[in-house]
Amino acid sequence: MNLKWLIRSQSIMTLAAGMIYPYYLLFLKNLGNSFSKYGLAFAVFTISSAAVSHWLAPRLDKHGVCMMIVSSLGMMGAMLVFPWTSSYGWVLLLQLLMGTCNAMQRMSERVLLADYTEPGSRGAGIGSYHFWTSVASGFAVILGGFLIDWLTINILFYLSALLYGTSAWTIWRTNRPAVPRAKEGSVSEHNVL
Amino acid sequence: MLLLLASLAFVQYVRTSSSDQNPYLMTDYSRLHPVKVERVLQGEAEAQLIGLVKDAKAKGLKLSIAGQRHSQGGHTYYKDAVVVDMTSYNQVLSVDPEAKRIVVQAGATWEDVQKAVNPYGLSVKTMQSLNVFTIGGSISINAHGRDIRNGSLIKSVESFRLLTAGGDIIQVSRTENAELFPLALGGYGLFGIILDVTLILTEDEVYRESTVLMNLEEYSDYFQNEVLPNPDIRLHIARISVAEDSYFKEAFSKNYTVDRSLKLSDHNKLKSNDNWVAPGKLLFNINRSTDWGKNAQWNLQKHFFVEQSDKIVSRNNAMRAASAFMEYSQPGANDLLQEYFIPLPQFDAFVQRLGAIVKEEDMNLLNITIRYVNKDDEAVLSYAKQDMLALVCLFHAPLSKAGQQRMKQGVERIINEVIASEGSYYLPYIAYPTLEQFRNVYPGYEYFFAKKKDYDPDELFMNYFYEQYGG
Ligand SMILES: Cc1cc2nc3c(=O)[nH]c(=O)nc-3n(C[C@H](O)[C@H](O)[C@H](O)COP(=O)(O)OP(=O)(O)OC[C@H]3O[C@@H](n4cnc5c(N)ncnc54)[C@H](O)[C@@H]3O)c2cc1C
Repeated sequence: MNLKWLIRSQSIMTLAAGMIYPYYLLFLKNLGNSFSKYGLAFAVFTISSAAVSHWLAPRLDKHGVCMMIVSSLGMMGAMLVFPWTSSYGWVLLLQLLMGTCNAMQRMSERVLLADYTEPGSRGAGIGSYHFWTSVASGFAVILGGFLIDWLTINILFYLSALLYGTSAWTIWRTNRPAVPRAKEGSVSEHNVL
Repeated sequence: MLLLLASLAFVQYVRTSSSDQNPYLMTDYSRLHPVKVERVLQGEAEAQLIGLVKDAKAKGLKLSIAGQRHSQGGHTYYKDAVVVDMTSYNQVLSVDPEAKRIVVQAGATWEDVQKAVNPYGLSVKTMQSLNVFTIGGSISINAHGRDIRNGSLIKSVESFRLLTAGGDIIQVSRTENAELFPLALGGYGLFGIILDVTLILTEDEVYRESTVLMNLEEYSDYFQNEVLPNPDIRLHIARISVAEDSYFKEAFSKNYTVDRSLKLSDHNKLKSNDNWVAPGKLLFNINRSTDWGKNAQWNLQKHFFVEQSDKIVSRNNAMRAASAFMEYSQPGANDLLQEYFIPLPQFDAFVQRLGAIVKEEDMNLLNITIRYVNKDDEAVLSYAKQDMLALVCLFHAPLSKAGQQRMKQGVERIINEVIASEGSYYLPYIAYPTLEQFRNVYPGYEYFFAKKKDYDPDELFMNYFYEQYGG
């Protein structure tokens, strides 16, 4: 993989996230009868995100790409399950899962960004990464609102799942050891820009 | 790319900048006539509401009372008024299975009532097709629905407690403070805040649904000869085609007939009817915008409903129709309801005139259903002056001035036909009819508004319905 593909996959990922996120908040708010309960759902997310970070940290350098895939797949699962949740307990459980996915995504994103750029010349790459993911997120929210007006929030969850799946697939595809010449364990080094 | 995004955002800004989308203004289900209100107050306790009434009186503020705000003519708010949102005042106070009574706070919805009474094998006598409305909002407009045996909603009300403009709480029934009973029921929130209500229930039953497709011209005979005389048919609804290919020619009738061979306990688990919302919503959206969509919708409904024929359903489940698929939130236009009540003998002629006017005026009619109401003139502003068939019309129209002017023009023409047919129209909807038309259809208006002044001389309870027709 290289930076270009990282940007692509993560733009798709932000598309998926941006599309559902604000509406997901509304969805959650409707579930909770109080703001405290709503707050709790988010605390659970951050707790799991923080808790797994220690466990993930030593594996990051070697398995960054893998984590990215797992994170997207996990999010895809969460999005598929959300429309079927019937209790607050389930929501908390999903918040736990999403917190974990969030940790994997955020941490590996940073590691891979560092891997695919060189010290001293990182500005352009990171700028472009930020640009595309932000733009994707902008399109996503606009599209999301429009889609809910026409369809339902459940459809948005499913569409978001589809996009998460696509982002996982994008990473996996550009990362499988397709080039026989590549030496084992050095895929990323060979493909650096 | 960024430019594209920015322009997209700009387009959205413009598209959603119409005042029906302004979150700082108050409106109702119609999203028409948004205004700024003083504040919205959640109804929570008796003492709080009494305090509010006294306080508003002292400060010269107006009060408007709101339930789920599904009325469409500004019945639930008023400029600079305090809006009392009763939806938080929603406890079921007691169920008496022996006497078949429920006492419920006015902000509770039919759904709350159904949940409370279903375990006792009980059911509501008369309510709307959907179960999303509050009890207070429903008795204040004297609702009706699919039940063809129990009259309008006023008949199922035994008594209620009313917080009057003077700040007193009084018990109102057919024997206590009896004068207020037919005024406040169907009183559009003008006589005080209804706090809690005692409703008369009936037994939950198991029905078999049957759907019959027919020519529209056969319908009223069919209804009078096959449906009305058969006491086992408890609920009924019919639907007229608005599709290009069968416009006002085809109809189907759906009857719910008691099936005594089936055990209630096998069928009375409450179900959500909101399955398949997304495809339904998409189809309904296409129905709004194209003739093709209207044809597709009609054909699908025919297929679907005839297919469903013979379905077994409990009364409580039959009285909770799906609605989510109809929700429409897009800016600048909306679905607007109208309802016309026509005495049986005049029905056929009226329906044909209605179809013609809708065509001539180029109104976008999405959906039209027929219900039946028994004569019930207890409420002062009663629509059921005789045994009537009610035509519920769902229009789609722009919310712009011009769009609304055109709707008004069409509706005024329809109301003239209604009057010629000795019919009436429903008051919870947009106030298109003129003052003359209103007075013509509701001769009790003089007494109604005179009593309003007696009970509420300062006009504390205020809304746009009163402003438009109370003058
Ligand atoms: C999609 C749709 C379908 C409908 N179907 C039907 C139908 O099948 N049959 C039918 O009869 N009607 C039907 N209606 C009309 C509906 O029944 C009325 O609009 C009803 O008033 C809605 O109840 P609500 O809780 O939204 O009342 P609101 O709209 O909030 O209030 C209605 C009136 O009641 C007054 N009010 C509310 N609560 C109180 C209270 N506690 N004390 C005193 N006054 C109060 C308000 O001031 C207002 O004047 C339908 C409407 C919609 C939008």
